[in-house]
Amino acid sequence: MKYFLLPLIIIFALASSANAGYREAFEKEFLYKSWGGEELEVNACIECHSSNIMKPEFQDIPNQWKMSWHYQNSVMCHDCHGGDYKDATMSMSHQRGFVGTPKPADTPQFCGKCHIGILRNYLESGHGKSLQSTGKGPNCVTCHGSHNIQKASIEIINEGRCTKCHSYERAQIMKQALFATENKMKEIESQLANLKAKGMYVGAENRELFSTQAEFHALFHTIDADLVKQRTDEFMRRLNAIDAKIKESLDEIHFRKNFSTFLMLLFIGLGVVVGLLSKTYKD
Amino acid sequence: MLQKVKDRVGESIGCCGLLQGKLREYKVPKGVNILYTLGIVTLIAYMVQAVSGYFLLIYYIPHPDHAFKSIQEIMNVVPFGWLLRMMHIVISNLMVVIILLHLVSIFVMLAYKKPKELTWVAGVCLLFITLIFCLSGYLLPWSQRSLWATTIVTNIPTAFPIIGDNIANVLRGGENVSGITLSRFFALHVAFLPPIFLSIVGFHVFLVKQMGLSSPPFNAQGETAAEGYPFYPYFLLKQVFMIMVFFSVVFFMITFMQPFFIQEAANTPADPFKTPVHIKPEWYFLAPYQMFKIIPNKFFGVSLQILLAAVFLLWPFFETKEGKNIFKRPWLFAFFILVLAAWLALTVWGKYS
Repeated sequence: MKYFLLPLIIIFALASSANAGYREAFEKEFLYKSWGGEELEVNACIECHSSNIMKPEFQDIPNQWKMSWHYQNSVMCHDCHGGDYKDATMSMSHQRGFVGTPKPADTPQFCGKCHIGILRNYLESGHGKSLQSTGKGPNCVTCHGSHNIQKASIEIINEGRCTKCHSYERAQIMKQALFATENKMKEIESQLANLKAKGMYVGAENRELFSTQAEFHALFHTIDADLVKQRTDEFMRRLNAIDAKIKESLDEIHFRKNFSTFLMLLFIGLGVVVGLLSKTYKD
Repeated sequence: MLQKVKDRVGESIGCCGLLQGKLREYKVPKGVNILYTLGIVTLIAYMVQAVSGYFLLIYYIPHPDHAFKSIQEIMNVVPFGWLLRMMHIVISNLMVVIILLHLVSIFVMLAYKKPKELTWVAGVCLLFITLIFCLSGYLLPWSQRSLWATTIVTNIPTAFPIIGDNIANVLRGGENVSGITLSRFFALHVAFLPPIFLSIVGFHVFLVKQMGLSSPPFNAQGETAAEGYPFYPYFLLKQVFMIMVFFSVVFFMITFMQPFFIQEAANTPADPFKTPVHIKPEWYFLAPYQMFKIIPNKFFGVSLQILLAAVFLLWPFFETKEGKNIFKRPWLFAFFILVLAAWLALTVWGKYS
């Protein structure tokens, strides 16, 4: 056997040394190689903005973006700013669709490429009209920020932010109009996460919640509290429908537990019977 | 009372003659314990897998656009589809546990020694095929977890110089895990592996029948099988008892441990453009996975594992010394404890690394 093992070990040792690599490269190329995540590895925007050749105030942009809601949903630099992230020399070429940073007055159109419904409502609002007529009204980044954009919530409306431009009264009325619906959405979100953790698939309910949330948040951009109050019933009805499905799922989980417990007890009982039966036989 | 029920059932079915004639004649050594029943439990587990698999096949669609949805329909729309799928998942894990326990008990009792070397080899082959079953079945739900776990595993052959990429491409049917991989793994899971598994089971059972069960090595009496107890009712009832225990464990796990088997990434549709942050193989692949991670040279890592698997498979041909009591072989016993501890340590390390 040793005549078999020895050459085998020598062959492995030689081939291994010929193929030697470092652990970091090994993990990157071998265990975690991912075709979807490849964009992050060869992203010229991130490489350049993270390096010292960039002005200090721009160096933190990739870190801010990595903490954002956009990052969590795979929205990359070029999705907003255009350009070619795979080619460092052409990354900021207008021929490759680079648009750079928009002027404040152009920001709504810049974000509205994706957030179409919100853009429409915003342009009809006091905020939008002011920006269009004077070029000085609040735009998207005034409330949401630019790179560290978080998932929109009612907390965005607060005295500190709103009173930079006007009094808080109207904003507070709007916040109160949003409050119940927003809370209900949060509650449903956490219930869906709980169901998912219990092994139930809640894709359809999540999609319904997402679309309700998106429409509700889009509506808010009209900054018309009366309109929000008018349509609150409709949103609550949709949320209640999701809630009913969640309750059905919880009942189903309850039934499944009871049924499998019954089967477990049945087999334990059968096991006891067989165990007793075997005792009746003597050597 | 029990005796009356037993007699009545025996008369009704008319099987007393058969039992008397065949099953009572076949003798098992005195002192056989529940560890001897693990083989039949594995066989029953495989049969349940086959039956539940047939039902899942009725509703499952092996296409990237439909696979995840069809699985969700099995879980949420098909009456009791959830039960069949959960049984399929839980028993696949338990099969690995039972076969491992079976092999460990055979190892400790040194029951692989001449003339039973081939019985051991067939048993280890069954473990390997069960693992391939698990691996190929793992991709079928087309979830994030299945897609990325398969991505990791199908990257393993790329460790080999020159032919590595070709092997990986044949496995995946291309550069990455795609619908073609799904078709290949599906065919492997439902068409190629079952006949191979059953053939080896047949061979294994034939060898066991031919050579009889080994006497327990720690039994001071040391009788041969001819002096032992009749198979029926003595051993058969032990087997039925263990089958009941097995099903009790299955339903216990379905009732109380469902989230362990269907985690969040297993409940999220596959997205080739979104790599999950922490994706790890199933528990039975954690030790090899961790070994890959700690060995910096990937070719050496893969080769070492193949070598270890080959040594495991052909162990009876390496270890040929006489003696049936492992406690009288301190070096062998120490080696066994060391291997078991290393495997457990790598598994835990892999889980929390």
